[in-house]
Amino acid sequence: MSDQKKTFRDEKEMPLSAVSATDMRWNKTGSWRNVKPYYDPKTSPCIAGCPAGENIQGYIELAKGERYEEAVRLIWQNNPFPAVCGRVCYHPCMDNCMRKEFDGSVFIPAIERFLGDYAIEQKLKEELPKERFDDKIAIVGGGPAGLSCAYFLAKRGYPVTIFEAKGNLGGVLRYGIPEYRLPKDVLDAEIERIVDLGIDVKTNTFVGKDITMEDLAEYSAYFIGVGLQRSRRLGLENEEANGVMAGLEFLEAMNSGKPVEIGKRVVVVGGGNTAMDVARSALRMGAEVTVLYRRTRAEMPAIEDEVEEAIEEGVTIRFLATPVGIITSNGNLKEIKCQEMQLGEPDESGRRRPIPKEGAYFALKTDSLLVAAGEMPDAECFQSVVSLNYGLIVADEYGRTSHEKVFAGGDIVSGAATVVNAVARGRGAAELIATEIQGGIFNPKTEKKVVAIADVNTAYFLHKRRATMPRSEGTHGNNRFAEVNLGLTCEEVQEELKRCYSCGVCDGCDNCWVFCPDVAIQREEGVYTIDYDFCKGCLICVQECPRGCLSVESEGK
Amino acid sequence: MGKYPIAEDELMTPGHLACQGCGATQAMRYALKALGQKTIVVMPACCWSVIDGPFPHTSLKVPIFHTAFETAGSVASGVKAGLEMRGDSETTVLAWAGDGGTFDIGLQALSGAAERNEDIVYCCYDNEAYMNTGIQRSSATPPGAWTTTTPRGDRKRRPKKKIIEILAAHGIPYIATASVAYPNDLIAKFQKAKGIRGTKFIHVFAPCPTGWKSAPELTVKLARLAVESRLFPLLEVENGHYKLNKDIPQKPVREYLSLQGRFSDMTEEEIQRLERDIDEFWQSLLIKENSGGLLPGITS
Ligand SMILES: Cc1cc2nc3c(=O)[nH]c(=O)nc-3n(C[C@H](O)[C@H](O)[C@H](O)COP(=O)(O)OP(=O)(O)OC[C@H]3O[C@@H](n4cnc5c(N)ncnc54)[C@H](O)[C@@H]3O)c2cc1C
Ligand SMILES: Cc1ncc(C[n+]2csc(CCOP(=O)(O)OP(=O)(O)O)c2C)c(N)n1
Ligand SMILES: [Mg+2]
Repeated sequence: MSDQKKTFRDEKEMPLSAVSATDMRWNKTGSWRNVKPYYDPKTSPCIAGCPAGENIQGYIELAKGERYEEAVRLIWQNNPFPAVCGRVCYHPCMDNCMRKEFDGSVFIPAIERFLGDYAIEQKLKEELPKERFDDKIAIVGGGPAGLSCAYFLAKRGYPVTIFEAKGNLGGVLRYGIPEYRLPKDVLDAEIERIVDLGIDVKTNTFVGKDITMEDLAEYSAYFIGVGLQRSRRLGLENEEANGVMAGLEFLEAMNSGKPVEIGKRVVVVGGGNTAMDVARSALRMGAEVTVLYRRTRAEMPAIEDEVEEAIEEGVTIRFLATPVGIITSNGNLKEIKCQEMQLGEPDESGRRRPIPKEGAYFALKTDSLLVAAGEMPDAECFQSVVSLNYGLIVADEYGRTSHEKVFAGGDIVSGAATVVNAVARGRGAAELIATEIQGGIFNPKTEKKVVAIADVNTAYFLHKRRATMPRSEGTHGNNRFAEVNLGLTCEEVQEELKRCYSCGVCDGCDNCWVFCPDVAIQREEGVYTIDYDFCKGCLICVQECPRGCLSVESEGK
Repeated sequence: MGKYPIAEDELMTPGHLACQGCGATQAMRYALKALGQKTIVVMPACCWSVIDGPFPHTSLKVPIFHTAFETAGSVASGVKAGLEMRGDSETTVLAWAGDGGTFDIGLQALSGAAERNEDIVYCCYDNEAYMNTGIQRSSATPPGAWTTTTPRGDRKRRPKKKIIEILAAHGIPYIATASVAYPNDLIAKFQKAKGIRGTKFIHVFAPCPTGWKSAPELTVKLARLAVESRLFPLLEVENGHYKLNKDIPQKPVREYLSLQGRFSDMTEEEIQRLERDIDEFWQSLLIKENSGGLLPGITS
């Protein structure tokens, strides 16, 4: 075998019969190429879809090998709340999953929840920071945004103090989302792990009332994550009547074990998560619940799963209807006058605007009216330090406000958003704050290319049905406030993990190596390299890679 | 899908002269991985006799005997006889011929060898035309296809010859079809053939981008679609008993056709007719499978 072409100077050098003497390696067929394949690992679409940028493909690969601790620690690098988010996130990751159109997205939140719960069961602790800094940072608000910011700063070694108005940390996770969706012991466990990093917590401290920003002058930087605490009112006469209550207030009472009277018939107004949580909680108190929503199901801002579960449990949703009058007697709610609506032209949110249907009214007799028509900011007390716009704090994606030492994120910047958004903004701000304190230049990571559906080869996807999560019995028994979705067993999780094709990331499937007609791909310990001396550029490797790990460039670039 | 249980050793070297995306080259690589070093290849004129490289070079690490176009069956018989005279019963003799060399000009030599039940593996890599000499039609060219001898306006009309049935009629112990899109299956069939005495015939579907007017990167996809559409079913005939691979979900044939320039003139009527032919052929195979074989098998 040699790289030399064999030539004969005369016939005496030739063998007696035509027997070959050497191989064809002298013939560098790479020169035939006009396009060039190359290994180009990409970001999985699920990861690109996650606002927190969790390395979903990465933790799934670890979990496949039953390396659950490493898997959950990988999640923590982006999100300290896997047990929470595995339960309540709206999972945009699943919308991006390549299996969506094939046989249903991988059940990512179920996997995340399993890993989060694993960490809780195993009582896994955070690794303490190797470095320690002196610059103290104040976090105003102990919801997911504030906790996330505190967590990532504490992990880097900064002394952090959280100032929280309420008696306990968690924000909406504690006082909004009901127990049957997010058990308090799960929330407590994740918060405890975070606080154990050495975070100083001052509860019952409303910044702007109990203390002021000026009182906190000793801090080097501030993060404001105060969320949206005020319920929007309907603006109707008699809204103060007995029997009318703000949705958030109702949920807070429920979540704090305070007694509330709602009677037998309950009307809930709104189409968001708050409305669904209010309706399902009222149902569990034995009420008959009707939700009034002024548009249709397609426009509902609540998480899809929650609407589905609410309807399954027996909540009636009257679409295209809105309350226009509250009828009372002796200061007690009696009846609600409702207006039927229809959809008109799209508004600035892109959703079709509800407009009243002339003359179409109906009345609902009811004992309670629970108003969940949206939450509003309450940030006037920060007006002297940062700019506000319609009551929200003005800040960029990384939390930079009009004040160089003050950062903000979560619902108070985004308006009503999501838990994972709050977590992501808290982390982004932590990175920015740490860089600014160090006097460095902030360079957020640039993302790799994301795998497109055209890059993956679904011929190698085997059909396998998504796992279904068992549910608890229902809304009426003794356990009616117990968690509804019961999680997957370890075995079920392992089966579900197999459905992930780790798009964009090579898993050593060998397709490129096997199918190369030119023997131009080498494989060593699971790593492939292309021998460009011989690669003719047929691109079969690119085409047959199930996960889109190769890209193509034109030759001569 | 797991890792491929495929031998690490390469008995085919890079630098060979095949076109980009050549299915026949993949077929050789897999076949040799299955048969191993103790193999002699007998090769009539065909693309592969060029792919291998010019004298005194070869891209195979096993001996190749180059021979005349119509003689693969008889020369392989002779090589086997010679080995046996020298007491070597271990070395596998692999006749490696194209569809022209098998379906057409080499048919009598193959039939003779099969009738004598010579102890050889005969592989026909089928690229559905005489590719080496410039894309002339063979009796393996499918109806509707363009070739240089069935040009536009006068495309091939006759059906593809059912070579498996011809070989089955000889009563040889092992016949199989295989596809470069399913290397595990292909390799398993060659390995099985190696362990059987008598004539083994393996028909390998091997796309040819140059002749089919298809993009080189689509070779594996086309080979897969041919199987999925049941245009080229994967089957085995062992001692007369048909066994059809029914695990692969059926897909319409249209995507397969649409990815190749050679079919671009096919009319709706022709496509529908092809679809009917596919169904009828499949049904006929099912009947054969269920009847336990139309011909008595031989066990030698
Ligand atoms: C009922 C309900 C259900 C929801 N369900 C979901 C869901 O299932 N999934 C999802 O992704 N999202 C859901 N959301 C949205 C999500 O909860 C919020 O987007 C998220 O909690 C915002 O986090 P945050 O930290 O910005 O604010 P919050 O969670 O509101 O936390 C703010 C914290 O700051 C404290 N605070 C406020 N003002 C001050 C002050 N001046 N000084 C000190 N502390 C202060 C508050 O007491 C609170 O603890 C839901 C929202 C509601 C209301
Ligand atoms: C008797 C004879 N006739 C014609 C030829 C020219 N010839 C060489 S290869 C070939 C075509 C081979 O076609 P096929 O067997 O399908 O193999 P492919 O080239 O397609 O791989 C022809 C016609 C020849 N070598 N000998
Ligand atoms: Mg041919």
